[in-house]
Formats: sequence, C-alpha cells, structure tokens
Amino acid sequence: MNDDQLKGRPPYPFETIGVAIAFSSSRLEAVLAEAKIMAECFHARLLLIHIGEQTPAKEATLRDILARLGFDALEVKTIWQQGNPVKSLLAICKQNLVDLLILRAKRREKGLSYYLGSVVRGLSRAAKCSLLLLTEPEINGTPFKRLVVSGVQHPKTICTIKTLNYFAKGVGAQEIMVVTESDQQGLAMAMAYDSTANQSTNVKEQLSSEEAKQLHALVCRCAPCEIKVSEELVLGRPGFAIRQYAEKVNADLLVINSPDAKYGLIDRIFTHGMEYILENLPCNLLIVHSRVS
Amino acid sequence: MAKLSPDDLVILLVAISTMLLLSRFASELGRKIGLPIVMGELLVGIVLGPTVLGAFSPATYDTIFPFTTNTHFAIALDGIFSLAVIMLLFVAGLEIQLSQVIRQGRITVYAGFGSMVVPFICGFAAAWLVPHWFDIERSENFIFALFLGTAMSISALPVIARILLDMKLFKTKVGMVIISSAIFNDLVGWLFFSFILSIAGKSEGTTTAIGYTLAYIVAFSVFMLVIGRLLLNRILPWVQTSLSWPGGVLSLSLGLCLLCAAFTESIHIHAILGAFIAGIAIGDSVHLREQAREIMHQFVTNFFAPLFFVSIGLKVDFVQYFDGVIVGVVLLIACIGKVLGASIGARLGGMNWHNAMAVGFGLNARGAMEIILGSLAFQAGLITQPIFVALVVMALVTSITSAPMIRFFLRERSPASVR
Repeated sequence: MNDDQLKGRPPYPFETIGVAIAFSSSRLEAVLAEAKIMAECFHARLLLIHIGEQTPAKEATLRDILARLGFDALEVKTIWQQGNPVKSLLAICKQNLVDLLILRAKRREKGLSYYLGSVVRGLSRAAKCSLLLLTEPEINGTPFKRLVVSGVQHPKTICTIKTLNYFAKGVGAQEIMVVTESDQQGLAMAMAYDSTANQSTNVKEQLSSEEAKQLHALVCRCAPCEIKVSEELVLGRPGFAIRQYAEKVNADLLVINSPDAKYGLIDRIFTHGMEYILENLPCNLLIVHSRVS
Repeated sequence: MAKLSPDDLVILLVAISTMLLLSRFASELGRKIGLPIVMGELLVGIVLGPTVLGAFSPATYDTIFPFTTNTHFAIALDGIFSLAVIMLLFVAGLEIQLSQVIRQGRITVYAGFGSMVVPFICGFAAAWLVPHWFDIERSENFIFALFLGTAMSISALPVIARILLDMKLFKTKVGMVIISSAIFNDLVGWLFFSFILSIAGKSEGTTTAIGYTLAYIVAFSVFMLVIGRLLLNRILPWVQTSLSWPGGVLSLSLGLCLLCAAFTESIHIHAILGAFIAGIAIGDSVHLREQAREIMHQFVTNFFAPLFFVSIGLKVDFVQYFDGVIVGVVLLIACIGKVLGASIGARLGGMNWHNAMAVGFGLNARGAMEIILGSLAFQAGLITQPIFVALVVMALVTSITSAPMIRFFLRERSPASVR
C-alpha cells in the first residue's frame, strides 16, 4: 500500500519529519530541539522514533524534555519499537510516509565501527526518504546559512537541488554553493608520453571548461532566485573533493544525492563517493532521496 | 668492489644517450603523423640493433653496444633495463584506481569480465589445442597456453586513456566504462602474469609449490592494498606538507616501489609484481597530489620507457623472426577475443550495440603494456622470438586501429547517447 504511495512522491514538501532518538546520547535534547525547529519551519508532522525497549524511565525522560522544549502545541507521535535499527527505521518511515528523517551522526567513525558500518550507511541507500545527519545539534537550532550541494552529472541531481531550494527557503539560508568535482584520473598518464606543454594545458582547461559549462547549465535550470547561488568546480576524487571543499568554506550543510547502490564492506576498504563523506563528516549532511529510479 | 672502468662508463653513457636522443627524434616524427610514441622507440631499437645496424655494420654495432665483448657494459645496461621495466610497472599501477571499478557498477563488471575471460579462453584454447600454429611442442604448452591467454586479455591503460582524450570521450559514459574495464583487465592480468612467471621453470612443478606461490601473491597483494594503503593514507598528507616538495613524496614513492619489487623478487615472484602493487597502493590514495603523479609519469615515460622499448629492438631480430602465420594467428585471436568479449559484456551490462562495440575496440588497444608483457615472457623463456615479434606487431596494430574503430561505431551517435 505504502509502496504505491511512495512511488513518484516528490521528496518535498516535508509533510512528515521523523527523528531517530537514542537515550544513550548526550545530545538527545538538542536533537529534539532541532527536530522541533524543522517541524515548525516546514509545518510538518513530527514523528519520534526510538528503536529499543520502552521503559517508564525513558518515557519520563522524553516527557520531561518535550515539556521543556514546548512540544505541546505540535502534533507529535512517538513510536517505540524493538529490533534491528536499520530495518525498523526503514519500516517505520515507510509506514508513516516520512519525508525527512533526522539522525544524530558522529563526525568520524573510528576503528572497527567504521568497517562494520553504521545505521546511516544502512539507511542511505534503502531509505525512501531524505536523511538529515546532524553532527553537532544545538538546543537553539543549527544556523543553516551556508549550504553546499553536489552538482554531479546525474539524473537525481536536479531533484536534489530543487529539494535543497525548498529546504533553504524553509530554514532561511543565505547562500547556496553548487559544486562539481572534476576527477582528473588518468590524465597524467595519458599526457605523459607525447604532449607538448600547450597541449597538456589546453586539455586540462578544456575538460574544466566543459564541466563548468555543464554546472552552469544545471544551476540556470534549477537554482532559486531568492538566495545567492555560486558555482564552484573543484579538482579531485568525487566525494573527497566536495568534503574538503565543505570543510574549507565552513559549510553548515552539505547536500548530496542518495547513492545508487548499497554500500558494503568493500566500499569501505576501497573508499569512494559518499563513503569519503561518511567516514569524516565535514558538517551536517542532507542525503536527498529523489524517489526516482 | 667491482666497478666500471672509465672506458666502460663512456661506452655506457654514449649508448644511453644514443637511445634517448634517437628515440625522442623518431617519436616526435611519428607523433606528427599520428603514430604511437612506442612505435618510434621500437623502430630506433630495430635500427640500432641486430636487425639493421648489426646486419649492415657489425663493427659499429659492437662499438656502441658491446654486449658480447664487454661483460661490465652488458651487466650495467641489463640492470638499467630491469629498473626500467620495474618503473614502468610502477607507473602503470599508479593509475589503477580500485574504487573506479567499484564505482562504475554493473556495465564495468560485465565488460571487464567479458574482456578478460573471452580472450583468455581464446588464447589458451588456441595454444592448448593447436600448439603447432606457434611452433610449440605439445608437452610444453600448458604454461605457454596460460601465458597466451593472459597476453590476449591484457589492455593498455595509457594508450586507451590517450585515445579517449584525443577523441573527447574521456569523461563520457563509454570512456569511463572503457577505462574502468581496462583497469580491471590490467589488475587481474598482471597478477596472473606474475603467477605464471613464478611457476615457469619450476620443473618439479608440484601442486604444493604452485599453491605457495599463489598464496604469496594473494597475501602480498591483500596486505599492500589493505594495510599498506591505510598506512599510506596516513603518511602521505604528512610527507607532502612537512617534507620537501616534491622530493619527499618522490623518495617515498620510488623507495617503496623498489622495496616492494625487491621483496617479491626475494620470495621468487617477479619484481614487477611488487612495483605494480606499490604503484596501486600509492596511486589509489586520494592524498597523492596530481602534480606528484605527473612528475612520476614524466620521469618514467621519458627516461625509462624509451630505454626499455629501444632495448627490445636491440635484443631481437625482427626481420629474421617475423613469421606471417604466427603474426596472423596472434592478431586474429587477440582482436576477436577482446572485441567480442568486451562488446558482449558491455551489451549484457545494458549498453546499446554501437556503444558496446566501441567499448570492445577501445579495450582492444594493447600498446606498450603488451610489449612489456611479451618482453618479460621472452626473457623468462616462456615464448620464442617469433611469438614475441608477433605480440609486438599485434600490440602496434591494435593500438593504431583502436581509435578509427571507436570512431566508426560512434560516428552516427549523438553526444547524448555516448555520455
């Protein structure tokens, strides 16, 4: 039933926002505060999801926090469920037609936990909704002023940028930077044998110029006019280059497409794409699920 | 310590400078008419070697290249040629990005497997079933069959990258599939070739010995590509920012390359495996700056590569050992196996037939890598001179025909269908 409802459903507006809550986290209150702000910004229904045992102590803690944060006026539903975190969250989000799921994420996963994978990785491909990973949630809300979005050449990108426009208007962002990554792998090898200095420079400039043109066409097609939008071409490996760029410009949010394939252990060992971002989050991350195949 | 006399040194330096200067001159001439650089280098070797100079002016040949009369010279030059092939394999490894293969997904898996398995089967079957085509005794053709299968399945990443760049297909979907599949071909092909080199000549050839060799290769590769890469990812940023630039990173990279080459040679696997795997471990790191990669490529391809390819002409008489039948058979098997395997793979992966055929012909370019492979096999006694000559001819023909054939299959396609 919900499969049909989800198919073709646009990734925005955010009518239902889910928030995954963990009582072990010291930032539980901050996560809930962020979720409340988001729900208010987008006039969304809020769904609190806890995967774990429902105990009187947890209920009391949650009640206290919700009261402190003034949740009374909002339409809030809490779901308690036990089981595998990824599978349970996926099922709940699907059943409740969640459009945006908010999670707290560690900036950096260390040691074995990196290789074993995280809830975020499990959700990133399979979730039928967008994911907002908050690295440093704040009681007063994160100021989403400077947003960086990947302008990779992919059918999902237009939808991602449009979703970001909606998000940016909702949270009152000031600047959007659309970034495309130019991977020059193989160029050194191809040019090493028989190229003059001019040829090498021309080839590099030509490749960069083509990518810059494609980026500009993308921005012209879907960027909003109310917010300042800039275009940037960065050299480097996809995923890694945009991570570094987001760090460099002190972005408040990095926005990327949802991955096309499931990420597993092999992707963690031979890191690529989104794995570079997840292994060391430069800032908050929004993974947009465009719900297009 | 034994050392070169001043006279030996003079002869050695003159020989090296002759090879470098003439090969550059020939390559630049060839470049003007669109021939691969490697062809110019091979031609210089043929002219300077026994085929031309040795035949028409033996005294001059013996003066410049006194291989038979001056042992010191012969050993010193052999050392340089060995170093050259190690460095060539190192830079080949630098461009193997394992994540690229994973990233490209289904089409690459199909095209990569197809372009590997079908030519391997074609080469192996031909050598195994009809060894007389290659003048090989039936009793000694198992290792040869393994080699021929591998030689048919390998690709030449540098040549392919250059062709795609010239045709402005480098960043297209077709281009990415060709590059990723070539990476896959080279990775598996060179690992398997190292295995063949290791087991060749082990007359006792016990299953245990072969098992140990295989285990060593797998263990070394896994160690370097998992643990080694992790360590390099930690060290490289520090080396590039805290040590002299680019001295620090060059010393680390080349030092590690030679260390790994020495290690694999010491455990009776060829030194090329160590260099190749070291190249992958370093080149796959996101922290390696593009400029450092460029310097290593320039250094190796403009100093060691000409020496190595000229040396091939010095060792083999291309006229005497040119066998039309063997050349024809090798060329036919190579083209049919590769084009068919890669095209069917790409088609099964979801590409249309035109693009799939372009992928097939793109991967068909063998170039310098095939010549290196053949040269190593010849040195190891795996193949005869006529077969080596046939492999060189096949490498050149496939490299030259690759671009026109890609153009033919993509000529009526819109840019959008290629992208």
